[in-house]
Amino acid sequence: MVGTVSEVATPTVRSLDVSVRLSIGTLGLGVELRTDRRAVAIVGPSGAGKSTLLRVLAGVERRATGKVEMSGRTWLDTKRGVFLEPWDRRVGWVPQNDLLFPHMSVRENMAFAGASASDVEETAELLAVRPLLERRPRNLSGGERQRVALGRALLARPELLLLDEPFSALDRPLRLDLVQRVHALAERAGIMLVLVSHDDGDTAAMAEERWLLVEGQLNRL
Amino acid sequence: MVTPRPGSALPSLIPRASRRAQFSALIGCAALFAPVAARGQAAAPAQAPILVLAAASLSDALPAVARLWEARGGAQVEFSFAATSRLAPLTLQGNADLFISADREWMDWVVKGGGAKAEDIVPLLGNSLVVAVPAGTESPPRTLAEVVALPRLALAGEAVPAGRYARAALEAAGLWDEVEGRVVRGESVRSALEWVARGEAAAGIVYRTDMPVTPGVRLAFAIPPEVSPAIVYPGVVLASAPNAAAAGEFLAFLRTAAAQEVFIAAGFEPPISRPPAAPPQAGPVENPGSAILLSLVVGLAATLLGLVPSVLLGRLLARREFAGKALVSTLILMPLVLPPVVTGFLLLTLFGTRGVFGPALGAFGITVPFTLIAPVVAAVVVGLPFYVLAARGAFEAVDARLEEVSWTLGVRPRSTFFRVVLPLAVPGIAAGAVLAFARALGEFGATVVLAGNVEGRTRTIPLAVYSLLESPGGSGGAWVLAGVSVLLSLLALAGFEGLSRWQKKRLEEWSGR
Repeated sequence: MVGTVSEVATPTVRSLDVSVRLSIGTLGLGVELRTDRRAVAIVGPSGAGKSTLLRVLAGVERRATGKVEMSGRTWLDTKRGVFLEPWDRRVGWVPQNDLLFPHMSVRENMAFAGASASDVEETAELLAVRPLLERRPRNLSGGERQRVALGRALLARPELLLLDEPFSALDRPLRLDLVQRVHALAERAGIMLVLVSHDDGDTAAMAEERWLLVEGQLNRL
Repeated sequence: MVTPRPGSALPSLIPRASRRAQFSALIGCAALFAPVAARGQAAAPAQAPILVLAAASLSDALPAVARLWEARGGAQVEFSFAATSRLAPLTLQGNADLFISADREWMDWVVKGGGAKAEDIVPLLGNSLVVAVPAGTESPPRTLAEVVALPRLALAGEAVPAGRYARAALEAAGLWDEVEGRVVRGESVRSALEWVARGEAAAGIVYRTDMPVTPGVRLAFAIPPEVSPAIVYPGVVLASAPNAAAAGEFLAFLRTAAAQEVFIAAGFEPPISRPPAAPPQAGPVENPGSAILLSLVVGLAATLLGLVPSVLLGRLLARREFAGKALVSTLILMPLVLPPVVTGFLLLTLFGTRGVFGPALGAFGITVPFTLIAPVVAAVVVGLPFYVLAARGAFEAVDARLEEVSWTLGVRPRSTFFRVVLPLAVPGIAAGAVLAFARALGEFGATVVLAGNVEGRTRTIPLAVYSLLESPGGSGGAWVLAGVSVLLSLLALAGFEGLSRWQKKRLEEWSGR
């Protein structure tokens, strides 16, 4: 890990090319998604498979077939037998239940992927959690936990950051402020954002592109 | 008709070909208490059965004589066979009618305890000692001097008459001090013989009457009469016998020519009058401290050795689906439900010097039976189910998605295991370790078969307590060790409770946010 998160990355073209199928139980996904935008929102009713789609992109759901390409690099190609393990993917995943490591302090959680102390402090500052660094996750509010989980993912310097209902526990003014900051940061660091939200609210409104997932089908709005 | 009660007179039910099964039956002393306890006051006056407590060495001949007796219209006879040392305390419980001891000492002990009158004691039979060797021995020893040069000599326990007689013979020959360190003690003559049959001991000193009923051994030579103590089996109708009249008749019948003929055919002799065997010089447990130390060493060693396998197996069973998972799980849990004696028997088959792994281990100079390794192996195996179950539960309680998050943060599974999964599972694994330690402290059945009962080497607290309970006047020492046992168990269980709470608290902390 060199440099800080906010440092301007080498300007490369980010692009995501997804074409996957997956059926688990009653859920059947057949998704085509092509984009080169910085921020994409996926909206749709609960149970439509939004979270599952993020799990496929993160590489923790291994049963999907098809193809995933991130900026020209193949993450999944079942025809050629390619499956890039999640730890090799440079993907950030902030699941709906933030899933902080309960036995570590906020600082240890954020430094988990190997970020330096100064990087951790800078990111904590940006996400307004710096006073909480020495606390344990159990002593945080829901909104604080979400921000710590986001910081932890950002500090792993992903190419693609997957956010599942990322700011649902925040009240509106803070949410708007934070969404703005994250977008700015992603822009500077060259990170592509894929946000999932169950309604077409503030979070989705900030995205450059919005897609609707209904009954396993993804359509651009 | 002879009707042995279930579990008590098992030996007489088993055909001679399967005498090995008897080995474990003889050790299962718990079963022994069944007939005495089960016998109520319901004894009908007319044809009430006679309950006979008889030395284990009589378990073949005596039922045959009883069949003869019953065929002639005698009352039904029921038996409980075990080592005399184990039966003697039961004579004072007031339910049995007749006691046939394998030596005079235990009979005198019963008289002293008020269980019988000295003038009622009748000498019934004689027996003699022989040296037994494994059936395949090429040049068996011919003299006691050659026997004591062998690497290991199996005798019955020091409180068991056969064990005392053997020691008396070796003392009379002036060889006891030389061989004492290489003696291993079985719980009975039959278990000593089993070790000989398996080649774990190069020779054993046993009754002549045990030879024809044990496969895998052969007679090397008879102990010469000049060193052999007089072996006399006295019988007595107990003072508290509910069925004294019939018991007296049966006792008289045992001395008739018809009965004696059956006994002599089985290798017994008419009773001879020579001075009785010298009483043992020292109590069986000379140093209770060594048993406590040994128990702690064995418990700690088993806990440490079990750690890595339990963590690996617990993790495997918690997170992986694979062919044969049910089989692996069942095998690990087996010692939980198997009688410990059976576990010991199987371990002896695996790790005995002639067992499956014995020769390979021997090539590295490792001997399992009768060494310190044996109680540790037994403790690891019987403790493993607790250990693995606890580890499995601890791993299952860790949210699998925490691992997934760790992967997406660029941390590989191995590193994720050590940084995330293991720290969260530690309290549960520690609770399992404490349980395994507690189980190791209590381990008896498997140890007694695999490790023998050798003071300072394999005699842990439970084995020492057992030996003390078997010897007259040993109850003081038994109380001390029992107290230590209770204390250690309480500490271990308190530790388990504490660790379980710690684990539960941690689980609650991160689920209930």
